[in-house]
Amino acid sequence: MLRYAVATSVFAAVALADGFTFTIASPMAAQEAQFKSAAFVFRTERCADPAKSQISASAEGIVQAKRRSVPLKVASLQKPGVYAVFQNWGNEGRWVVVLKGVCAGETAAAIVPLGRKGFLRESAKFFPRPATDAEVDASLKSLVEGDSK
Amino acid sequence: MRIFRRHVSDRLAPYIHEARAADQVERHLAKCERCRAEYVQVRAGIEALQRLPLAEAPASIWNSIESVLNAAPAKRSFAPRKIAFAAIAGLMVVGLGYWIVMRSAARWEVDGLGGSPVVGTEHIGRAGRVAAGEWIETDAESRARIQIGDIGSVELAPNTRARVIATRPQDNRIALQHGEIHARISAPPRIFFVDTASATAADLGCEYFLHTDEDGSGLMSVASGWVSFEWNGRESLVPEGASCRTRPRLGPGTPFFEDASDGFKRALDDFDQTSSDAALTAILAKARVRDTLTLWHLLSRVAAGDRGRVYDRIAALTPVPAGVSQEKALKLDPETLRRWKDELAWTW
Repeated sequence: MLRYAVATSVFAAVALADGFTFTIASPMAAQEAQFKSAAFVFRTERCADPAKSQISASAEGIVQAKRRSVPLKVASLQKPGVYAVFQNWGNEGRWVVVLKGVCAGETAAAIVPLGRKGFLRESAKFFPRPATDAEVDASLKSLVEGDSK
Repeated sequence: MRIFRRHVSDRLAPYIHEARAADQVERHLAKCERCRAEYVQVRAGIEALQRLPLAEAPASIWNSIESVLNAAPAKRSFAPRKIAFAAIAGLMVVGLGYWIVMRSAARWEVDGLGGSPVVGTEHIGRAGRVAAGEWIETDAESRARIQIGDIGSVELAPNTRARVIATRPQDNRIALQHGEIHARISAPPRIFFVDTASATAADLGCEYFLHTDEDGSGLMSVASGWVSFEWNGRESLVPEGASCRTRPRLGPGTPFFEDASDGFKRALDDFDQTSSDAALTAILAKARVRDTLTLWHLLSRVAAGDRGRVYDRIAALTPVPAGVSQEKALKLDPETLRRWKDELAWTW
């Protein structure tokens, strides 16, 4: 059943929410060479007019047992509704990227954990509302716990 | 001013053409690095110009010239100004042509990263240059890095032999005879190419490793971006994290992600060489979502009767996106396949 994990993480949000949400992917999915060094790319789903959507992101981390928060600038790609996140946080500690979007009054959010070799698609979580601090902390905690195992 | 007069810039072209003042020029070149570099550029420019085909001027040009010559004397009073204008314009055209030729005949800088790599027949030590047509070779002790103009670099591992084929702005090309290279290119797609005996790697904005034997057996692994591996009309699109073998007389194989299971990779190896039904069955059974990269390529490589099995397996692993019909996919409609691949890439 594990083989369906990736598909589930990619499409579950769409299926469950049946509304505005995100899909995340490796930078090569965007097929724009200048974004190949991004940490990951994402796109809006079920957003009729991506040009009018409001997208924001922040990196949330634990560095030397202290919580850190870094606002991120999200880069728009040529294709409407597709964005790239570049690493703007330190290499120390453990981090997740929190995405938030608003499209035609609907809200979507995602927590994307970052592993040592890049984003962890299978562990990403998607919400039809802003992610809560508790959810962000829980994702970070599970990353840190994963390190100690 | 004396120091400028001592240089031989203005004598290089007559020297190259007719060996004029050969003694003086050669004595100076032996001592002056600046003039040697200029000599190499001028010679490359002249050689490039000599390779240009001769074209006959159309008859209309002669008609125009004759009509000007036959024009009324009153109009000829402007002739000196026109001639001067024509001369300046001509010089500008020649200058532009020379600049273009110089650019197109660029030599790439080479850094010796260990040992003493060889360019042509000369050991370059820590730094040198390589031009189109020249070979560059490393032995068991040496490595080298070629700066591909301003678009990136190619590192040659030990025991590698390659030839620079083209150094033009829109066509930068290396032929890798044997050994391994690590290419890091940051440029628009299809400006940098590496030829091997059985495939050509066309850069689509990427970083990759390419190993080949002299017979054309090789493996390419992509670290970032995409590479198109091509031969004889067959194309394998290889994204970050994936690899692709190439074989003599068969060309590029089917790409696969390096984290695929060993069983999957073994079955793919078998299928690429034998097209056996058992191998295809094993591939389909062992494929994960991410392995739809491989399955998407197999759609156009399996027998027509097997396409349905491949389609069904992809559809079972990931939802078929809107705009991709089974009928068109099985007919290998290019637009349908492209759209499906672009969508599948979001799961790779």
